[in-house]
Amino acid sequence: MATDSVPTAAKRGSRQRLLRYLLRRIGQAAITLIAIVVLNFVILHLAPGDAIDVLAGEAGGAGPEYLEQMRRAYGLDQPIYVQMVQYLWNVAQLNFGFSFRNNVSVLELIMSRLPATLLLMLASILISFTAGVLLGVFAARRVNTFADNAVSVLALLCYATPLFWFGLMAIVLFTVKLGWLPGNGMYTIAASFNWFEATLDVLRHLVLPALSLALFHMAVYTRLMRASMLEVYGLDYIRTARAKGLSQRRVAFRHVLPNAILPMVTMLGLQIGALLGGAVLIETVFGWPGLGRLAFDAILQRDHNLLIGILLFGSALVIVANIVTDLVYAWLDPRIEVA
Amino acid sequence: MIRTISRLGAVATLVAGMAAASAAFAPSVLAQGTPVRGGTLSMILNPEPPVLVTGVNSASPVAAVSPRMFEGLATYTPDFKMVPVLATSWEQSADGKTITFKLRPNVKWHDGKPFTSADVQFSFMEILKKVHSRGTATYLHLSAVETPDPLTAVFKLDKPSPYIMRALAGVESPIMPKHIYEGSDPLKNPANVKPIGTGPFKFKEWERGNYIMLERNPDYWDAGKPYLDAIVFRIIPDGGARAVALESGAVQYGTQYVVPLNDVARLGKLPNLNVTTAGYEYNTSVNYLEFNLRKPYLQDRRVRQAIAHTINTDFLVKNVWFGFATKATSPVTDKQKDFHTANVPQYPYDLKKAEALLDEAGYKKGADGIRFKVTIDWSPSGEMFRQTAELLRQGLQRVGIAAEIRNADSPTYLRRVWTDNDFDINIYSASNIADPVIGIQRFYWSKSIQKGVTYSNGSGYNNPEMDKLLEDGQVENDPAKRRKIYEDMQRLVMTDLPNMGLVYIQWFTIHDKKVKNLTTTGLGPMESFADVYMEK
Amino acid sequence: MEGLRDFWRRYRRKTSAVIGLALLVLVLVVALFGPLIVSGDPWDMATMPFLWPGADAAYPLGSDTLGRDILTGIIHGSRVSLLIGFSATVAALGIGVTVGALAGYFRGWIDDVLMRITEIFQTVPTFLLAVVLVAIFKPSMLTIVLAISAVTWPSIARLVRAEFLSLREREFVQSCVVIGMGETRIIFRQILPNCLPPIIVMSSVMVASAILTESGLSFLGLGDPNLMSWGTMIGIGREAMRTAWYMSAIPGVAILITVLALNLVGEGLNDALNPRLKNR
Repeated sequence: MATDSVPTAAKRGSRQRLLRYLLRRIGQAAITLIAIVVLNFVILHLAPGDAIDVLAGEAGGAGPEYLEQMRRAYGLDQPIYVQMVQYLWNVAQLNFGFSFRNNVSVLELIMSRLPATLLLMLASILISFTAGVLLGVFAARRVNTFADNAVSVLALLCYATPLFWFGLMAIVLFTVKLGWLPGNGMYTIAASFNWFEATLDVLRHLVLPALSLALFHMAVYTRLMRASMLEVYGLDYIRTARAKGLSQRRVAFRHVLPNAILPMVTMLGLQIGALLGGAVLIETVFGWPGLGRLAFDAILQRDHNLLIGILLFGSALVIVANIVTDLVYAWLDPRIEVA
Repeated sequence: MIRTISRLGAVATLVAGMAAASAAFAPSVLAQGTPVRGGTLSMILNPEPPVLVTGVNSASPVAAVSPRMFEGLATYTPDFKMVPVLATSWEQSADGKTITFKLRPNVKWHDGKPFTSADVQFSFMEILKKVHSRGTATYLHLSAVETPDPLTAVFKLDKPSPYIMRALAGVESPIMPKHIYEGSDPLKNPANVKPIGTGPFKFKEWERGNYIMLERNPDYWDAGKPYLDAIVFRIIPDGGARAVALESGAVQYGTQYVVPLNDVARLGKLPNLNVTTAGYEYNTSVNYLEFNLRKPYLQDRRVRQAIAHTINTDFLVKNVWFGFATKATSPVTDKQKDFHTANVPQYPYDLKKAEALLDEAGYKKGADGIRFKVTIDWSPSGEMFRQTAELLRQGLQRVGIAAEIRNADSPTYLRRVWTDNDFDINIYSASNIADPVIGIQRFYWSKSIQKGVTYSNGSGYNNPEMDKLLEDGQVENDPAKRRKIYEDMQRLVMTDLPNMGLVYIQWFTIHDKKVKNLTTTGLGPMESFADVYMEK
Repeated sequence: MEGLRDFWRRYRRKTSAVIGLALLVLVLVVALFGPLIVSGDPWDMATMPFLWPGADAAYPLGSDTLGRDILTGIIHGSRVSLLIGFSATVAALGIGVTVGALAGYFRGWIDDVLMRITEIFQTVPTFLLAVVLVAIFKPSMLTIVLAISAVTWPSIARLVRAEFLSLREREFVQSCVVIGMGETRIIFRQILPNCLPPIIVMSSVMVASAILTESGLSFLGLGDPNLMSWGTMIGIGREAMRTAWYMSAIPGVAILITVLALNLVGEGLNDALNPRLKNR
């Protein structure tokens, strides 16, 4: 996505150019988001059953008058296009509606679950990016040795492991058998901690889910970094640097790494969307109180407002990540200009 | 405060032994030990409830929280005798059409306003009769609640409704504050998530996805109670995590499917934990198998009986329910001793018999060994139902019926079975709730064939003989005659088999041994917890 | 024939690619012939529940919570996983190649519209969208395949579009245009064959990721209830993870091996088909 929107123009950029670029991207994003709402609205309304069915089912033995009254109360007796126009109009005013199932506003619900998911995502990005870069550099500097092959095998295994399964196995090992790390939730229940202990507690809970979620992308980064390093090593100016007798370490970290890391930035943008999807599974496995789990529950409960809210939120996050990626890319690589 | 209760009609049995009901004799009928004040009880809650008031939503997670804050007019002993709560005594007229409740004086709402008969009137007429999922049926014949004085409420009924006297517990018919709900849409009232009740515990805070906290009500009418300082409901969505929380002592109480059934035995052996099945007399569930009588194959009674013979209920009890269920002998749970009978036709696991019945019905095996095909739907409310569906499929295959299981999420499932009637065999569980009119009748009454009404007569069973029995049962005030009616009804169900009970589910509580007085009435986990205390 | 031999010579240069191929063949053999050797219905409650692997020689991999043989489940699961993996990839290729080819060949507004649609599908978090689709249209083999292809086609479309954009400017295409060859013919007979190598490479990776996605869906309870898949088995085992972790571990290893094999093969194909990249 990034490379399409950022043609390699050789001209010097201006602030005005940047502004125009941002405006265009935001305009496109708005259209995309509206399309996403419409698409999801249609899909969700094709589904049999609505939120009132769930409420009635949970209550048990609700009468027809009760059902009708509930549908009227929540506007579900309106035709779908009326509901959709109403929804779009509300969203335009940053009103994401009301979650029937949870009896609170969708925005409030998303905001209350967002920090947990952001923490999980950031931790996993940090782990996967750092570990990936380090392993990639490590392997590239020892290309075709035993160490290089070992890293490749590790990456391949991580790449092929179902992340939720890794999570389950990690719980069996680290929580059930060894008792080293907690395998569920975000913090110890009913504990009286000071802020330091509380932070440590959250970090301990974070280790396994973040690692499980990071594994796949760590493999991606490792492979990408190794390949990218090798490509840069092959470039003329690196040969020159080497020929000048600079130390291997200096060449690797001062000359090769900064250039080789560029393609990784693009990958970061793409990772966000995948992470949100993966969060559904990981949050289920680890009982992490985040957006992924909330989305899954929303589907099962036909909580349309909430689900569309989360999808919209997730999509917006992906778009923002992509724009930021483009900008960072342009900033890192002076040859590229946003246009 | 002591008043005698008229012993008239059905009420006499219902309240037998309660001749001397008194304020002092409040819910603690089974109390043990010497209570101590203080402590916070952490309980497991799953899933997170949408609201906290059973008056507007009677779903089970709501019922797990609401009774601590909202009380009913009465509560019940394990054998369904009435115990006073907000009403101190009651009297029923000879024709069964007037019930007079004397109310408890000096009761205050959590916001300090006094509780009066106007609240009772409002709760029954405006909330329970109008927006409560079952209340609309239970209080169908309740035409008015008169309030001659602030401490007297008189129920006026069009027809005798003996079952009302079994529906007055705080969890089923909570008394709600008129001054908070009057003039608002009760379904959207903000107090549904920040309740004001009369109960021993007051709402403190609710952190979504995390916990709900209730604190001690210092002005509770039963002076000295409750013993606990606070109750915290921890929302823990994962079964494994719930087990860990109980094991470590972080949480001291959990009910129903609190941990995977295969893990209960292990937890029960731990030194700090206790597993009990007491306190589930009021809320009893039966795992049913329902046939769609609109489908050609299933219209034949012999086919239904044949299918009944393919299910190995012993296997279900042992491997699916891990002993937390017993073989069902009739559609009415054996906990309802006033109505249950096992003297009805039975269908033991017998594949030969099943094959014979199918042959007799004219459905011979085809060249591929298949007689016909059916689909199986199961309620997505528990793994046990999926496993039951899998067991049923294997049994059916053995007698030449090809079966396809269909997975669905809750809305799809409910819509499919009770609105579209697009199913063959349905596996689900339902509560028998206190009285057959409230809990059982809905599956067999032809008037309960209502599209869109979940857990109603989904099979489409329509038998005038059955209707007559059920309609007689609704208004019969003589307990012996009433029992006879429901025995006949059970016999007819087991002969016609529109649905059949597979197992009687035995709920259980896992709790820390320090927690005492948990089960004081037949409502167990749905009681107010005013008597619960924790040993230091 | 000569081309094939040459291709194989290049492919086998990489040990990992050969190992991958061997593993893949193994999985395929199990899927094709396994049910002939280990007969029986994977759903049959054949023995006592919670039987550990090795405890009973008749059930070498043990039994699950209801006493179903895990070995039979693994064998049947291999069919389900491969079938879903391949069909979802074929379906995604169908959509992706069509969209990409049209956008890349015709450019202009067709390209704009198609790419905007592609972008929408790429913006919604993919696994989440797959969950929504399967949950809403009743979990079955068909809906799972469709949902997976619905979320994976955009990457194929982008790849094909990029290839088309560059290939359509080449001389051989231009000369076809000059001699008045039909557009369909140019697209399918001239350009498409030339962008096959990257598509083939991508396909093997897509089969792998489709298998992973299916296992995730089944784990969440969104699998086809009448098919014993590896993800379903992990989900079943999860209930008993504390007491019998082998129930989840064994099918997980099966997924790992299959996905690993497919990735290794994909890498091997990449090196063999794109000799200029062989150093990577």
